[in-house]
Amino acid sequence: MLTNSRWKRALAAGLLAAAAAFGPIGSDPASILFRLGPGDAEAAKPLSVITTTQDLASIAADVGGDRVRVESLTKGYQDPHFVDAKPSYLLKLRKADLFVEVGRDLEIGWVPGLLQSAGNPKIQPGGRAFVDASNGVQVLELPTSVSRAEGDVHPLGNPHYWLDPANGLVIAANIRDALMRVAPNEGAYFTQRYTAFESRLRAKLGEWKKEAASIGLAGSQVVTYHRSWPYLAKAFDFQVLNYVEPKPGVPPAPRHIQELTAEMKARKVRLLIVEPYFDPKLPAQVARNAGSTLVILPPSVGADPEATDYFKLFDVQLGLIRSALATGAGS
Amino acid sequence: MSDALQLLLWPLLACIAIAGIHAYLGFHVVERGVIFVDLALAQVAALGATIGFLFGLDLHDPSSRYLSMGAVAAGALVLSLLKSEKRRIPQEAFIGIVYAVSAAAAILIVDRTPEGAEHIKFMFVGNLLATSPQEVAGLSGLYAVIGALHFIFRKPFFAISRGEVSGMSGAQVARWDFLFYLTFGFVVTQSVAVAGVLLVFSYLIVPSVIGMLLADRAPARLAVGWITGVLVSVAGMLASYQFDLPTGATVVTTFGVALAVALLWRGVRRG
Repeated sequence: MLTNSRWKRALAAGLLAAAAAFGPIGSDPASILFRLGPGDAEAAKPLSVITTTQDLASIAADVGGDRVRVESLTKGYQDPHFVDAKPSYLLKLRKADLFVEVGRDLEIGWVPGLLQSAGNPKIQPGGRAFVDASNGVQVLELPTSVSRAEGDVHPLGNPHYWLDPANGLVIAANIRDALMRVAPNEGAYFTQRYTAFESRLRAKLGEWKKEAASIGLAGSQVVTYHRSWPYLAKAFDFQVLNYVEPKPGVPPAPRHIQELTAEMKARKVRLLIVEPYFDPKLPAQVARNAGSTLVILPPSVGADPEATDYFKLFDVQLGLIRSALATGAGS
Repeated sequence: MSDALQLLLWPLLACIAIAGIHAYLGFHVVERGVIFVDLALAQVAALGATIGFLFGLDLHDPSSRYLSMGAVAAGALVLSLLKSEKRRIPQEAFIGIVYAVSAAAAILIVDRTPEGAEHIKFMFVGNLLATSPQEVAGLSGLYAVIGALHFIFRKPFFAISRGEVSGMSGAQVARWDFLFYLTFGFVVTQSVAVAGVLLVFSYLIVPSVIGMLLADRAPARLAVGWITGVLVSVAGMLASYQFDLPTGATVVTTFGVALAVALLWRGVRRG
């Protein structure tokens, strides 16, 4: 079988070529240092913290201070449901001292496989250096019955919980606890960083709530494109009346759009909030017909050039809502 | 063995296994002129899994798998029966219709379920980098069984692909076609789950097209296809690693480059 031996030879040649090309990386002294474990290396090297989103990265950087080097696998403008993995993700996960995910099945399409392939036992689910940041968060839209046949296909609830600043505290506490597990002798430092973060966030939360009330967001009714905003609504006390696209990926039926427009007109809805990864054409048309204003809000740190950290994210969101409501009132 | 090789070993082995069976199946697909049959059957499989949602089954539930296999079998039956109309209507037209209607039907079904289409999308994306040793073993096992089946029945399969059906009755041809599309559908749905639609399409079509460009006889064409598939897998993985690009898309683009090189080579040889 000529083809068979050729095939084997090509396979062997390919593997050899790959081995030759990748050889130098294995001899990188830094990668050996990292494998000694945090107890030996932490004094010299900051802990490598890998998060799935920039929101988590921003909070982790606040809590970890100069003892950590934080990197997010995705950028805020990417839809965290769908991520095209790059080889560097695996290398980062392999060398990570701590891994933080949003959880609630948000990253189910790509994280479990990558964790499995990364070959880093510490950061496997349940491992010492694995953080599900949603632990202890009061999750909204949790199904009331466990049976999926009755229509509860999102069994872990709505995963966009970082959009309530109060949950930012829970995320930060989860990260603090994990950092203390990984580097126990830095416990006092992380506790102090967490406390500083907490008081800063609580102060800002008070300001944001005041602003939400003064611009007329609090107490109002809004329509959103998809179900990303219940936590923001809870934090700033507004009500999400309905959705443009109730089911992700299914274009809304004409009758739904008609009824939605009528409902918005009847209830004098002033604001239609859209996530940046959807085509704004249809919601813009709905907003025009209903006499309300369309606003595209960044749902994550990094989704807007101004939203560079977790605090600025809410500054930017409230700023956009303020100007949307102002133009809506002027017209 | 270095870190990086360890990370890319299983994805690379998966690609080589996929190259092995798809370069061969692609040869039939191109000869028969049914280029997009893999997209159609993958969509039919997704439709099957979507019907599972309707009964509250998870995508990873074993019963949902049987539903997609059943749907693939039904799709294979439809495609093999419709071939008798080939003189009047090109088969590619039916393939396109099967694709469009099953994609639309899936949307209609998802409209009746609470969650939406995100789960269907997962079926087409694939996550090549996250390939596990178990997946490689599963793929290789399936490919080996189906490859053996095709080796045993190579005479009728190749005869029908070349259009040499003079000795066979219409029913016989339809039966062989059914077996062909059934095995093909099983292979493609498994590969798509690991590597994604774009990559599987490329592994199917590009190696056999390059084989046809550079060689004349079937065994030589197959050999060229296999060598191309393996070389492109290795080169694409290396490029993806070197320049830190999404792996699947890099391999697909490398296939494009390989085809351009083959065309150039053929042009030079012809003078």
